[in-house]
Amino acid sequence: MHPVEVLNSLTFRYIAKYVAVLSASVFLILGAFYVYFSYTSFRDLGLSVLEELQTLSAVYSSESLQGVEHYIDAQNAVPAVHRFYYLVSDAEGNPVAGNLPPAPRYSEFDDGWLGFEMALRDWGGPVDVDFLARPIALGDGYEAIVARSYADIVDRARLVFSNLVRAMLATLLLGIIGGYFSAARALNRVERINRDLARVIRGDPGQRLDVTGEKGYVRALVLLMNEMLEQMESLMQGVRRVSDNIAHDLRTPLTRIRNDLTQLRDQPQPVAREELARVIEECDDLLAAFSASLRISTLESGSRFAATTQVELQRLLTDVVELYEPLAQKRDIRIALDATGELLCPGESDLLFQMFANIVDNAVKYTPDGGEIGVRLRSDADGNCLVVISDTGPGISASERKNVFRRFYRVEASRSEFPGHGLGLSLVQAIAQFHHGSVDLGSANPGLQVRVRLPASLSPPRSDDR
Amino acid sequence: MKILLIEDDTQVAEFVASELSVAGHDCRREARGDVGLDVACASPFDVLIVDRLLPGLDGLSIIERLRQRGDQTPALVLSALGDVDDRVKGLHSGADDYLIKPFSMAELLARLEVLHRRGAAPGADTVTSLQVADLHMDLLRQQVARQGKALNLQPREYKLLEYLMRNAGQVVTRAMLLEHVWGYRFDPQTNVIDVHVSRLRQKIDREFDHPLLETVRGTGYRLGPETKR
Repeated sequence: MHPVEVLNSLTFRYIAKYVAVLSASVFLILGAFYVYFSYTSFRDLGLSVLEELQTLSAVYSSESLQGVEHYIDAQNAVPAVHRFYYLVSDAEGNPVAGNLPPAPRYSEFDDGWLGFEMALRDWGGPVDVDFLARPIALGDGYEAIVARSYADIVDRARLVFSNLVRAMLATLLLGIIGGYFSAARALNRVERINRDLARVIRGDPGQRLDVTGEKGYVRALVLLMNEMLEQMESLMQGVRRVSDNIAHDLRTPLTRIRNDLTQLRDQPQPVAREELARVIEECDDLLAAFSASLRISTLESGSRFAATTQVELQRLLTDVVELYEPLAQKRDIRIALDATGELLCPGESDLLFQMFANIVDNAVKYTPDGGEIGVRLRSDADGNCLVVISDTGPGISASERKNVFRRFYRVEASRSEFPGHGLGLSLVQAIAQFHHGSVDLGSANPGLQVRVRLPASLSPPRSDDR
Repeated sequence: MKILLIEDDTQVAEFVASELSVAGHDCRREARGDVGLDVACASPFDVLIVDRLLPGLDGLSIIERLRQRGDQTPALVLSALGDVDDRVKGLHSGADDYLIKPFSMAELLARLEVLHRRGAAPGADTVTSLQVADLHMDLLRQQVARQGKALNLQPREYKLLEYLMRNAGQVVTRAMLLEHVWGYRFDPQTNVIDVHVSRLRQKIDREFDHPLLETVRGTGYRLGPETKR
């Protein structure tokens, strides 16, 4: 993997940001420590100078100037790393005691503190050293100045500061190196997923991503992707099956149309209107099948019905039965409607009518002459509307019952005998599900029993209830 | 018939326009809703065909604005498959009819003719009797007679005949019959309507010399001789 790729990766950038924030916080914490350290060091220094001044003042008041001179000499005689420097001057400003040069260039600090720079020779060469000093009046016009260098504090502060920067740089460096390797690792896993996916795209839909060695969220992601691939494959198979069925279904009417047209072409006399009308009818039939198929897709893919209208199922079923009665009577089939009670269903009446019409239509189609069809409306144990439509036809074998809801699926036996495109029951199911309901098939011994469950809405209070 | 077609789908618009002119209608095409509204306001049309979703101004708003101006030109809404509420919304906005795409041209033509005639003869709802050739319907007493001989019709047959008589001379499709006589809009899988019509035909035509109720192949039915535009 190219390093630039790693550096550009999301993981690396994320880690880099994190490390930057982390080192900034390290810097802040240590910085606060640095400030505190410098502050206390200077405060201690100031306190020691003040203490020394007190001592000088005490020595002067008890032993006068000679005592002070002795004290200073005694102090200078003691070897110490951080010595005090003294200067005692008389009222005219002439130095009378001490080891400071007479008039260093003082710079005034706050609260009577003075600061100056002085070259010291005793540290292996002339070095400019910063001093903190404070004057005090001893009495009789004498003034004493006690000074102490703070180079050591500055040195220590510098040491702390440089260590601080080093610590920060180390954090950054370690973080970035760690980040680089984590990002490279993450990228490696992504790369593997990419390779596998590319194989799927190149036309191996059976290919799945490798889960071995994957842990945690990557594993979850890979599993999810595998599931997605699984679903896509089954959808693709579904689409292929539907299009195969469509092709199959198209062949028959198209062949018929073609035959009709061939006959028309071969006829010596002018084209007969009747023949043409039949061809057009065939085309209309095909168009209707496609519209129906589209309609099912729309119902299946769209959002579910949001209850805005109520349908009185008893009236609706009465209308359906009334519509199909003449057709049934022609073949001596009796339709028995058993619908009582005021069951209301939240739904779209046109769609519900379409659904029950399709079921009754099928029942009439498959019931032999002189048979019977029953349409029964009840409310089931859960309070839902239950419509059971049974016939005395051949029924559908248990193994076929699931299949008949598939679009363009037709029971083999009926393919040749009855016209149709195998969309009726698909539409029934789509409409039932659109209304948050369900449909299932059973046996009416020996006929088919279609059970439709639809949610019921609470019946409006009847006038005699009040 | 002078028709304004407001439809942004060029393919559909071209097909519909060419079919309309083949059928002998004068069709003007607009692709934008706002322009279509201006055109509809500027000159009178017999019927409007309006797509549901249009750039500029949607179909239902066009009809709403026209109705607000007092323009009662019959309007048919074309809508894509999908929204179940379309019919309710469409009829709410003042549209007179609607068709869901894809539709057959025969269906559209039949509906346009009916809309046109209804638009041309307002007040048809207030008549008390209908007459087609020698067939008479008394709307107040709900009685039907042909050549003075009373016919005994079932309630549904009566409603079916009434719709056919109100649209005498026009082709009515099976979908239109289902919609207006039964009150449902759906696609029957079989010729369930034909059985009802043939029952009615038996009652009004069987014992008489010339049949009134004619089957129009591939489209629907017509009562009485075809009226010329």
